[in-house]
Amino acid sequence: MMRPVLVRRDRVVPATQAVAFVVGIAAALALGLVLLWTSGHNPAEVYERMFDSAFVGTDSLSRTLERATPLALTGLSVAVAGSMGLWNIGAEGQMMAGAIVATGVAMMADDLSGPLLIALMMVSGIAGGMVLMLGPALARSHLRVSEIITTLMLVYVAIRVVEWLETGPWKDPESFGFAVIEPVPEQAALPGLFGRANIGMLIALGLLLVFWLAVSRTAWGYELRLAGSSPDTARYAGVSLRRKVLTALLLSGGIAGLAGAVQLTGSATRLESGLSNGYGFAGIIVAALALMRPSGVAVAAVVFGAVQVGGQSIQTLGVSSAISDILQAMILFGALVAAVFFNYRVRWTGPKGQASSDDDQAEAGDETMAMEGA
Amino acid sequence: MSEAALVGLFVATVQFGTLVFLAALGELFAERAGVLNLGVEGMMAMGAVSGFMVGLETGSPWAAFFAAAAVGALVGGLHALVSVVLGADQVVSGLALTIGGLGLAAYVGRNVVGERPETLFTDMGITGLAHIPWFGEIFFDQPPVVYLTVLLGVAGWFVLTRTRLGLALRAAGESAPTTDAVGHSVMALRSGAVMVGGAFAGAAGSFLSLYMAPGWVEGMVAGRGWIAVALVIFGAWRPGRLALGALLFGFTLALQPRLQSFDIEILGVEVNSISPALLGILPFVLTVVVLVIISWRYRHRPSPAPAALGLPYRREER
Repeated sequence: MMRPVLVRRDRVVPATQAVAFVVGIAAALALGLVLLWTSGHNPAEVYERMFDSAFVGTDSLSRTLERATPLALTGLSVAVAGSMGLWNIGAEGQMMAGAIVATGVAMMADDLSGPLLIALMMVSGIAGGMVLMLGPALARSHLRVSEIITTLMLVYVAIRVVEWLETGPWKDPESFGFAVIEPVPEQAALPGLFGRANIGMLIALGLLLVFWLAVSRTAWGYELRLAGSSPDTARYAGVSLRRKVLTALLLSGGIAGLAGAVQLTGSATRLESGLSNGYGFAGIIVAALALMRPSGVAVAAVVFGAVQVGGQSIQTLGVSSAISDILQAMILFGALVAAVFFNYRVRWTGPKGQASSDDDQAEAGDETMAMEGA
Repeated sequence: MSEAALVGLFVATVQFGTLVFLAALGELFAERAGVLNLGVEGMMAMGAVSGFMVGLETGSPWAAFFAAAAVGALVGGLHALVSVVLGADQVVSGLALTIGGLGLAAYVGRNVVGERPETLFTDMGITGLAHIPWFGEIFFDQPPVVYLTVLLGVAGWFVLTRTRLGLALRAAGESAPTTDAVGHSVMALRSGAVMVGGAFAGAAGSFLSLYMAPGWVEGMVAGRGWIAVALVIFGAWRPGRLALGALLFGFTLALQPRLQSFDIEILGVEVNSISPALLGILPFVLTVVVLVIISWRYRHRPSPAPAALGLPYRREER
């Protein structure tokens, strides 16, 4: 009987991941088409609305970039940990932690001038993200506790702390009984660029550039990647794995915390339990699609920003915005599958006698062994 | 604290324990075969929504339960296809499954939010035993899913540790090339384990939407799928310890909404003066603490995790 096996390609297709990304988008749109069609919507109309609202006109573009900003930062956060093989899937929580500390600082220092207060809030955002990451980072570096689960668990903790602050200690006395926290001081609003896009975008872009330089052009970055890809080699070369794990995870947490502070001062008006809005989780997809590379993070963040803006816009057509979550996950699945076929090809192998190859000989060996065992 | 409240706490402990045990048992199968599936949260959400909708349509909780298991198996099948058959990264595929599963569940269930099914699972008082004070109510007057889960746990332990199939499954999780060399299909073993795991997670989801919190709302799984993933580590990949861990986590999950009503003091703090939001962090903090303790105990010993956990296997690369 002929059966298919995956064989590694000798020559790798150039720009593999970029093409895989495009294939992923196409696959997601195709699935979305089926989903929309079967639930009685006109897919063409929905997709047109999504595209227009995300890309056509400066206002639309600014909305896409507004959403791309936190996505780029959380994507970078995941990518920093990911470049040494670690998974920070709690960026959602670290964003909240950053926003909590930044809000606290703003409450205490609300008489500072704008730029000074903003700078202070950014630094405290980074600190907040790092604090939430400290436990998982130490547990990972010293006890090898899976950072995947610990970082995720703290997401629920951070969100519930915000809910607690909303209903109790930080409840705005002027909110007429609503459980909301008082808005951040006016002077702490990030300066706008155009439309809804603000300076936060430049912060994200700058940080991506710094990280790209650090990882690809410095010894520190080389050691980081080495520690991720072959820990034994790194240890032999005198790299302290513990310290590398700690730095990578703390940096990752800090960047996600910064995303929280940027979101707080950029797009939001106050700290609330919906502030992180799934950006931390979407950041995982962004980083995975980018294969943890900063340039890819930037591109994927813009695409995902567009998908999210589009997802919001189609609610007026009576379509659930959950569509955008499904599209985002499907893009990743599609790209994942496409990448496999760019690196491997399918070969049909038959029983022994047909087409002599290493695989066939190996198979013949298997059959003999199976017969001996029987 | 009244006697009724205490019994109620333990009744809920068994139910929450069942919920996380069922999902964790499925994940244990997959991981023993060498496949990490971080999609449990998404599979549970898909099971919860599809079970609930089938329950609304048919009025039969059992039809709903098995439909949810089928949907779970199907969703798990996607992970099997991508990460086992094609050999893509298991972490990435699992996370995509959770994000996509939560999104798809929200989309599919958008029109049934707030509806209530007419028939749900009901407690089955086991004749003669249910009337025993305390124990009767806690152990012998539970919904049938609880007893089915106990049976599945025993059967799962038996298959895993006492049968050839179980041996092959564990071998696939320890060393795929060896398993392949003795003539077993690693792909079939791993895919099967992942799909069975999906079925269990889906079924657990429907227990949530058809009994524990009847109805469907977005986000109703609320991290219990992730707790199930952590539970497998806590249980050191063994069904027996998994059951113990499930009771511990079940107790915490049951305790947290009830603490508000308890008139007790811990370390000089009156518990019922603490905000419910703050008490809500309890199960998640406990998970982190427990994982740290477990790892501390294993710090000088080899990890009890299956050796090939997370490693894709492609035949021609051996």
